Amino acid sequence: MKILTILKQVPDAESRVRVQHGSLDLTGATYVLDGMDEYGVEAALRVRESGVDAEIVAVGYGPAATDQAVRTALAMGADRAVLLEGDAFHDPLTVALALADVVREEAADLVFVGGKQADWDSAALGPALAEALGWAHVDWTTAFDLDGDAFEAVHDVDDGSETLRGRLPVVVTTQQGLNEPRYPTLPNIMKARRKTLDTRAADVGQDRMVVTGHAGTERERRRVMLDGDARSAAGELVRRLRDEAKVLREEGR
Amino acid sequence: MIDFELSPEQRQIRDLAQRFARDEVMPHAAAWDRDATYPADTVAAAADLGLLNVGVPTEHGGLGLAMLDEALVAEELAYACMGFYTILMASDLGVTPVVIKGTSEQQARFLRPLTEGPRLAAFALSEPDNGSDAAALRTRARIEGDEIVLDGSKMWISNGAEAEWVVVFATADPSAGHRGVVAVVVERGTPGLRAQPIHGKLGQRCAPTAELVLDGVRVPRANVLGEVGDGFALAMRTLDRTRIPVAAGSVGVARRALDEAARYAAERQAFGAPINRLQAIQFKLADMAINVETARLATWRAAWLVDQGRPDAAASAIAKCYASDAAFATANEALHVHGGYGYVDEYPVAKLLRDVKLNQIYEGTNEVMRLVIARSLVR
Ligand SMILES: Cc1cc2nc3c(=O)[nH]c(=O)nc-3n(C[C@H](O)[C@H](O)[C@H](O)COP(=O)(O)OP(=O)(O)OC[C@H]3O[C@@H](n4cnc5c(N)ncnc54)[C@H](O)[C@@H]3O)c2cc1C
Repeated sequence: MKILTILKQVPDAESRVRVQHGSLDLTGATYVLDGMDEYGVEAALRVRESGVDAEIVAVGYGPAATDQAVRTALAMGADRAVLLEGDAFHDPLTVALALADVVREEAADLVFVGGKQADWDSAALGPALAEALGWAHVDWTTAFDLDGDAFEAVHDVDDGSETLRGRLPVVVTTQQGLNEPRYPTLPNIMKARRKTLDTRAADVGQDRMVVTGHAGTERERRRVMLDGDARSAAGELVRRLRDEAKVLREEGR
Repeated sequence: MIDFELSPEQRQIRDLAQRFARDEVMPHAAAWDRDATYPADTVAAAADLGLLNVGVPTEHGGLGLAMLDEALVAEELAYACMGFYTILMASDLGVTPVVIKGTSEQQARFLRPLTEGPRLAAFALSEPDNGSDAAALRTRARIEGDEIVLDGSKMWISNGAEAEWVVVFATADPSAGHRGVVAVVVERGTPGLRAQPIHGKLGQRCAPTAELVLDGVRVPRANVLGEVGDGFALAMRTLDRTRIPVAAGSVGVARRALDEAARYAAERQAFGAPINRLQAIQFKLADMAINVETARLATWRAAWLVDQGRPDAAASAIAKCYASDAAFATANEALHVHGGYGYVDEYPVAKLLRDVKLNQIYEGTNEVMRLVIARSLVR
């Protein structure tokens, strides 16, 4: 069988970005493989390691610098890669339609897509791709098992999780918790040098949607200082985190 | 003609080393230093990722990493802990003479096992009574039929007690000076070989160092690298290469010192503002950045020459000398920027200074580096 894993390069969450004239200035940012996409590569590798005879093809899209992300996938263990190269920003539906052509051409059975695009946060690419292909789709996936052409998956829903069963082909959208991606080891980095990377100009056709305006949101930090000794300051911090910020919950509540 | 862009693989190699350094080395470095523990598990984890013995050629199961690639790894690991990197570096120091001069039979016998697990090599040139004047070594090598018998002692041997084997330099003829030197591979457990750990080091305390006592150690002549008499030149050719990782490690320490100083200077307030508003502090940071950048340039150039098949003794010595002096100065200034807090172990800067002092001493002191550089100038 053939597994495709869709990749995008995004600014490193730890790199320095500046806001200028209401928009992001990304010059000087370092780029990495989107962490959500990394879960997809790892999931594909685990399917193969579970004993399935599978070819894994990493498919990247974006500017030429995306080859770095694609090579990371090759070094992690993907067999070969395709890069749809293009500088312009496209909406997720447009990208999904271009990717659907690759999926059909490769005659893939299983496609992993990062859950969100770390830079645009659209969470739309996986669903749009499944729709374009007319395939089943599993969203926010935290567990995935394959047995023949039958899969079982667990995915997050608002009040917990659901377990789903279905048959290939399927598009699986990743979520944190799906796995712990491996490091590309040095020997695998060296081996990846000899794997094929097929770069093509992205032919996306007409954009389905264009961004016409851009406005930044700025929020001041509260800069609250808690006085008093350590014990009372800690108590006050817990109270604020629980009652105001609502990031803490008491047991049973 | 000049291109400072790293290749995609080189960026991956650096990223891997950086990630490993951040996740597996940095969180433990202070405790290893305090307790002088040898981090066996982390060495094994490094071996799993392929970061150990990177110089072993591909035909013997290794990666045959280029020197520039090795420099990238060195900088990242030393950024987290120079002592930890010394463990890996000293193993490659042992590997290098076997790569340069070993027959393919010797390479298969000694190098392949190093690629099959977390196994170390070592290099034993220095002795209790001579270091800089290496040709004055006194360890005796007597040839008896098919065997070589070694007697003497070797001082300051990194990985000396842990290594699978050690390249021992000895003299077959003390009256012949450096022309009498022979390089012999001695395997651990050979009768008569004893390792005496050395304690109480100022820095790099997780990197084990030992004195090796050789008392009638018999090894087959098949363990001699090259011929009797080739040993000294082999030691020098080895060091011409391995000084580059010392330089690269120094760059890593310097970069860490700069980062620590910049962070602290942004947090620490004096006279109503962060101290990084003071031009005196800004200039220190600028000088540190000058050190990091220029040391890296010298290091990469020396590495590039090796990768072009033109290893250059003077270029390596310039890199090692300059980078380690620059790193020492940078760590010293970083400590100073921390004021009183720099003087205690609560912050990592004191360790940086203690650790990097060794870079000015081992693989030839920086005075010896100047001798090597001068030799290329004075004819
Ligand atoms: C932690 C540690 C690990 C080490 N690991 C190894 C190892 O794995 N293998 C190994 O073989 N060795 C190792 N060494 C030894 C190291 O390489 C030597 O310590 C170093 O070469 C200096 O030799 P020495 O200590 O005998 O000093 P000496 O040679 O006695 O020098 C003393 C001082 O005199 C100066 N000096 C000497 N000659 C000259 C000269 N001609 N001109 C100007 N100044 C001069 C030196 O620069 C130095 O400042 C290690 C040392 C340490 C501390």
